Amino acid sequence: MRARALAALWLALALCGCAAREETAPGTLVIGVEAGPRTLDPRMYTDAAASKAGDLLFNGLLVRDGDGALVPDLAESWEAPSPTRYVFHLRRGVTFHDGRPLTSRDVKATLEWILDPANASPRRSAFETLASIETPDGGTVVCALTEPTSPFISELTQPIVPEGSGPEMAQRPMGTGPFAFVEYRHEERLALRANPHYFEGAPKLRGVVFRIIPDETVRALELERGGIHLLMNPITPDLLPRYRNNSGLRVAARAGTNYSYLGFNLEDPLTGDLAVRRAIAYALDRDSVIAHILKGLATPARGLLAPVNEYHEPDVAVYPHDPARARAILDEAGYRDPDGAGPLPRFTLRYATSQNELRKRIAEVFQWQLAQAGVGLDIRSYEWGAFYDSIREGTFQMFSLTWVGLYDPDIYRHIFHSASLPPEGANRGRFRDGRVDALTELGRHATGQERRRAYSEVQKIVAEKLPYVSLWHGVNVAVMRANVHGFALAPDENLKSLRHVWIAKGE
Amino acid sequence: MMTAYVARRLLAAIPVAWGVVTIVFLVIHLTPGDPVEIMLGENATAASRAALRRELGLDRPVALQYLAFLGGAASGDLGRSLYTRKGVFESVMERYPATVELALAAMALAIVIAVPLGVAAAARRGGAVDRGAMALSLLGVSMPSFWLGPMLIIVFSIWLGWFPVSGRGGIESLVLPAVTLGAAMAAILSRLTRSSMIEALGEDFITTARAKGAREAAILFRHALRNALLPVVTVAGLQLGGLLAGAIITETIFAWPGVGRLTIQAIQARDYPLAQGCVLAIALSYVFVNLAVDVLYAAVDPRIRRR
Repeated sequence: MRARALAALWLALALCGCAAREETAPGTLVIGVEAGPRTLDPRMYTDAAASKAGDLLFNGLLVRDGDGALVPDLAESWEAPSPTRYVFHLRRGVTFHDGRPLTSRDVKATLEWILDPANASPRRSAFETLASIETPDGGTVVCALTEPTSPFISELTQPIVPEGSGPEMAQRPMGTGPFAFVEYRHEERLALRANPHYFEGAPKLRGVVFRIIPDETVRALELERGGIHLLMNPITPDLLPRYRNNSGLRVAARAGTNYSYLGFNLEDPLTGDLAVRRAIAYALDRDSVIAHILKGLATPARGLLAPVNEYHEPDVAVYPHDPARARAILDEAGYRDPDGAGPLPRFTLRYATSQNELRKRIAEVFQWQLAQAGVGLDIRSYEWGAFYDSIREGTFQMFSLTWVGLYDPDIYRHIFHSASLPPEGANRGRFRDGRVDALTELGRHATGQERRRAYSEVQKIVAEKLPYVSLWHGVNVAVMRANVHGFALAPDENLKSLRHVWIAKGE
Repeated sequence: MMTAYVARRLLAAIPVAWGVVTIVFLVIHLTPGDPVEIMLGENATAASRAALRRELGLDRPVALQYLAFLGGAASGDLGRSLYTRKGVFESVMERYPATVELALAAMALAIVIAVPLGVAAAARRGGAVDRGAMALSLLGVSMPSFWLGPMLIIVFSIWLGWFPVSGRGGIESLVLPAVTLGAAMAAILSRLTRSSMIEALGEDFITTARAKGAREAAILFRHALRNALLPVVTVAGLQLGGLLAGAIITETIFAWPGVGRLTIQAIQARDYPLAQGCVLAIALSYVFVNLAVDVLYAAVDPRIRRR
């Protein structure tokens, strides 16, 4: 009787075990990622996982090249006959993955879908000044704006989907990109195949598979075993030497555009005081955090825009590590240290951070560094949803976060304009500065040198008034099997270069 | 009679399920974090947020949302995931086979290891086998799965190359997660088998059997083990219920697409309908496994049936 029960159990097991064995055809590149896309509809997605897949599935009118400059993609060329009018000439002979040719109607339909409030697209605000889209012929798109909007052009990297695409795009996306959708097993694997008719030439790979492996140690082991070919950020810096010492692997690194910072609640009596923020800026030793915890995978930042950005202003106030100066600033501002160099702090700040291990370790180092200036830090690490909520509602004194995908300097309006308080924008610290308001409004209309000057001044004011204390720009890292060739890291971590990648035989 | 018993137990599951979903509904709605904010990010306009909230029915008062959810659940409709817009029932069922497969494999492995080990230890009480088995079981309970999992991967996948590192494929991909999950359970069950065997071996009927001249093997397996199995079945059943809730850590380490990870992801994304559906599925699994254990009890021990 017992034997029979056991036999039945094993039979059940054997039946379950019949599930298809995970085989990847030769010439298929497997990428290990931490999380899977939530939706694959490029009119809806906001997460990094989805936009990485989107880089391969879709094209926009324009694209960022390897250095972050805007260059033609689906649009062969474009012109702006007036500040409120843009004309795009589409490339000929482009087809969607189902063979339908791309026309101006698809572009119009994509943008109009985003603009329709009923679709609740998070991209809608990017196109809020877009008044109308005309299609005088199949190869021309004319966009009319309600007012001159300089950042408009950088929004046109928006992926284009076929006219008439509905909510099914979330599950079965279709675009014009170098790779076409095959299947997505939710949070397990996303498989794409090469598009032989891709307008810039068929990819060398046969396909790309994103395997979702949430645990980083296991991702590393999969890479060593050869179960995956490539992995990218986030990479724990401590694992880097292990990758570098493995002759079967290759590590690529390139300065990125991600920006990490300390944010403050400016309505709080303590963190609202400029002297406190300046003291914090001097008390932090970024270089030693970068060297010892981040293992060099970051470069000190002076503002939101990385040096690679054409609007980057290098000549701003900087705060080198100087604890004595930090103490002097606080003494002068009347925050006496009750016991001098003793353990008692002048005051204690609540510091909110996520549950990411690396961030928690950095927070502990900051805690020690600030203690040298007599500032206490009460570290609270929150689960992501709760953390995000508390930041939006302003129930914090100080927090640390990272901005990703920063290109257009209009981001300064989104983060620091007094009309951008949540939920309208991302001015979470409630920063209010009339000059910044005026300059970021000007920058939205201005072009050329005038625009450049406006944002130079904005960057100087922000570095002076310190609504954020800049920490660092991340360095992007990719680790791949040594037989993977042709992969180029982009400053924003996009995967566009996969089109040129091939896997050498003999491993 | 048995049918009536099963029907009564099934009816009793209804209030349990109701209680569980109500508590989950309240807790997840009280937790800070908003699915619309998480979904749309900060760039969205207020109008987009309002539109999405309306579409998802999140603009209604919580009490109304609760009633709508209960009404749906009663008629078998658990709603749709806020993100993928797929049916919740469908999403959970997509993941359930992986969890069941892993749970059964871990369970089978634990029983196959634990019962013989426990019997051997009890038969040679205080001897080398006993001490060895108990040391092994101490090791089994002490090793946390987040440590054991990667260790097994390093030894059996990287060094020996026997099994895949992670993912769900054929039967070979099942081995390491099943061992990781089954180790602690085998440890507990072997200790339990040993102690209840020792107890059974001290009973009068064993002395009688010995006096009748039964062989030692027959005494161990036919007389003692049959009696010693009752507590083992109970504990194994409870543990199986736990396993069917999804082994979150093991599933995460091995990128195993089970219910445990789905639940965690649903909670992190504040995907209310999906999280509620997952917890409901977990609660019902518990109820059914417990019921199955009770029925099995009656089969193993006729005295229970009589009561």
